[in-house]
Amino acid sequence: MEILILVITALLIKNILLLQYLGNCPFLGVSKRMDTAVGMGLAVVFVMTLATAITWLVQKYALDPLGIGYLQTLAFILVIASLVQFVEMFLRKAMPALYQALGIFLPLITTNCAVFGVAVLAIRNEYNFVESVIFAIASSAGFALALVLMAGIRERLEAADVPAPLRGTAIGLITAGLMALAFLGFLGVDNSLKALTQS
Amino acid sequence: MLEATLFLLLLGLTMAIILAIASRVFYVWEDPRIIEVMDALPGANCGGCGYAGCAAAAEAIVSGKAEASICVAGGFETAQMVAAVMGVSVEAKEPQIAWTSCTYGVGDADPIYTYNGARDCRAAALLYGGSKLCPIGCIGLGTCAKVCPFDAIRMGADNLPIVDPQKCVACGTCVRECPKDIITLTSSTHRIVHEYSTDECTAPCQRTCPTGINIPGYIRAIRNGDYAEAVRVIKEKCPLPLICGRICPAPCELECRRILADEPVAINPLKRFVSEYEMGTGQHIQPYKAASSGKRTAVIGGGSEGLTAAYYLARLGHDPTIFEAMPELGGILRYVITADRLPREVLDHEIAGILDMGVEARTAQVLGRDFSISGLLEEGFEAVALTIGGFDSRKILRPGADEQPLAGVRLMFDLLDAQARERPLEGGRHLVIIDGGLKGLELARAARAEGTETVTLVTHRPADDLPSELRDYRRELAAEGITVKWRTRVRGLRGVREKLTRIDYEEVDAIAGLEPERESAPLDTLVLAAGRLPELVIAHEPIEEAPQAEAQPQSQAPATAGEGPAETDEPPAWDGRWRTIETFRTLPGGGEMGIFTPPEPGRVSDSEAVIKSILSGRRIVRGIQQFFAGEAIASPPHPVVEADTVLDVDAVHHVATSHRERAPLPHPTAGTENDWTAEEEVPGLDEEAARRESQRCLACGLICYRKDVQEEKALF
Repeated sequence: MEILILVITALLIKNILLLQYLGNCPFLGVSKRMDTAVGMGLAVVFVMTLATAITWLVQKYALDPLGIGYLQTLAFILVIASLVQFVEMFLRKAMPALYQALGIFLPLITTNCAVFGVAVLAIRNEYNFVESVIFAIASSAGFALALVLMAGIRERLEAADVPAPLRGTAIGLITAGLMALAFLGFLGVDNSLKALTQS
Repeated sequence: MLEATLFLLLLGLTMAIILAIASRVFYVWEDPRIIEVMDALPGANCGGCGYAGCAAAAEAIVSGKAEASICVAGGFETAQMVAAVMGVSVEAKEPQIAWTSCTYGVGDADPIYTYNGARDCRAAALLYGGSKLCPIGCIGLGTCAKVCPFDAIRMGADNLPIVDPQKCVACGTCVRECPKDIITLTSSTHRIVHEYSTDECTAPCQRTCPTGINIPGYIRAIRNGDYAEAVRVIKEKCPLPLICGRICPAPCELECRRILADEPVAINPLKRFVSEYEMGTGQHIQPYKAASSGKRTAVIGGGSEGLTAAYYLARLGHDPTIFEAMPELGGILRYVITADRLPREVLDHEIAGILDMGVEARTAQVLGRDFSISGLLEEGFEAVALTIGGFDSRKILRPGADEQPLAGVRLMFDLLDAQARERPLEGGRHLVIIDGGLKGLELARAARAEGTETVTLVTHRPADDLPSELRDYRRELAAEGITVKWRTRVRGLRGVREKLTRIDYEEVDAIAGLEPERESAPLDTLVLAAGRLPELVIAHEPIEEAPQAEAQPQSQAPATAGEGPAETDEPPAWDGRWRTIETFRTLPGGGEMGIFTPPEPGRVSDSEAVIKSILSGRRIVRGIQQFFAGEAIASPPHPVVEADTVLDVDAVHHVATSHRERAPLPHPTAGTENDWTAEEEVPGLDEEAARRESQRCLACGLICYRKDVQEEKALF
């Protein structure tokens, strides 16, 4: 049950894009077309899960024993950057179509605060390894969900009669704000779930 | 400290090793030519090719999605380098440059408001389309100069853009950014056969002139005393200035804006003055001529239209040869117009000037007797233009002869003649009559009775827009086996050597946006309801486009018996097939009507004045040029000739009135009667009078003109 609460919290209640405001650049950049949004979402799921798992291991078995926790940021960035490079090479070989579609956004994940943020949050919340991985999967799924929802809305916006000054990124930001408001509706669901399990 | 350093070192090293291994494991072979093509491209990322930058273009070239010559900025050299990488060959494309048409700066043009906003044309254009009254006027804030990636545009003193032809690579950035669409990309050969559109600035006289001479331009040159330049300006549009200077009816003078103030400028006498200046120098002042294209062309008929066609073909580098039936060139100009109106030394000087452009002439060559069109095509002429028919020389030279310029094409007159004399019509197996009306119907029935297999009447008119007599016959016609094609134009004819084989139809007035219906039918005899022979352009039919059916039996026509299709490895010899190509024929207010444009089928001109046949000659060459360049043969968008109304002014202000200069009438010689005889020529303007007259020109634009006093800037 705690795992379920963890998943729902990461996926909906504390959605990384809409309620923690991490990773807004790809949120607006890749959400113009559904197919790239799906591709980007999957890439983030892949990278974020892998990154969180590896950074957890680095934290527990290298940084903590050596007592150099202050190097967390540096070490994590190094690991994540290399990982994204690796993913890029892998995708190019294994899935050229996805590689073409994501184009410049793969390197963007390198310095993406969402990926880094989830890795750090997993440590800060003192999850164990399994929890960390589940937390990462749920967070990235939340990322993908928000991105795909946004792409769906923006594809419809293409046909809508948007006032000229608001076209493009402006209406995108307004949409994002409204979506964030909608996601606020999930607040408290975790407490209800907790109450439910206790009773 | 040491631990931390070692840890980071180790971590970095591990990652590096993993990445190094991954780069081997996941190595993707990338076409090395992409990098090579990238290096060959100029790297300006101007987007002129239609791809997002040079890298994207390189990938498109290597993957075969784009031509090696796609880069507009790099020009031919880049195309050659790219082609070398790709192992293909490219043909040299004619360089284009940006071309602007506005001539009056913001300071001199009529304003609708004073603009003080952002210094950018795109911003200014949002406000009533810019501060000028003229809808096609340059806003003058220099957006084109700012966006040019090659620094090829600067703004002149009057805030009009000046393009540096050395730097301009025709990337099209300025064309895309200019909100008034006053910049177009054009090449010098395009300019040679250019037709005005309503999107460019023209003076009323210039628009009225059938050939569109830049009249304000040459009068400005006269004002500046640069007579050679004036001749060059005229010859850009009219190769016969001496002749026009004497016998042109000068419709331009009737539209001269000066009429609104006093009298029209003596436009034609000024032309006569400079052309006589040229004749006085004994030399020929020639305008720009393009490099040889390596193509040879034939012009049949050496009258004013044929001379003009040959002149423009020579300027385009297509090595023309004129075939003239009469002993000397000139046609109506020589054999009809009297010497007192057009002295022969004037005519000879003018014709010598055209031959001087690089035109060969073969005189006393009668089509059908001394040479044939298929013979010319065989000889290697790539296009044959028929510019015959100001008068019907074949009737003059050989009375009774029934030679046809194009085998199978006959005038309705000849058939009616045969019918009247009760001779057989000889309508062949497949007969087509174009715009014949009731007489055509009679002939169709007679031909059907004579045994012609298929008889087709073609008209561009709709079925319900016919004289009632014809309408009444409609049902009977179907029963008699006569097909009537309503709302149909003829796009072209095809043949094999001296035989017509096919006719291509197209639906007239197709619904906008839909492909017009097209069809093709066999024919061997075509009848035109015209008084003169058609002006057609004939070229080799490209092998791959030829329809497979029908061609084979026809190529065994008697004339070519024994000659089979070439079966060697060499480039295939001409197999005898030809087709007509379309030329630019537009009716005022009407659309294009195919190659047999009404009211007189098959005529480009009505030849009512020499200036009109000059226009026809140039239009025929325009068709040939577009055909050679592989472009669609079409009229320009929004041509002035088709425009219902072109913006104009109805009054002029701040213009001081003056008298038109007139040439003095010849003084009667003492002792003779008080009149002048026909032998004596009417003199032209002298230099002083010409310079005075040139001052009177208002140097008009579309609505701008030269004012003696600058108006206060109106604000309303």
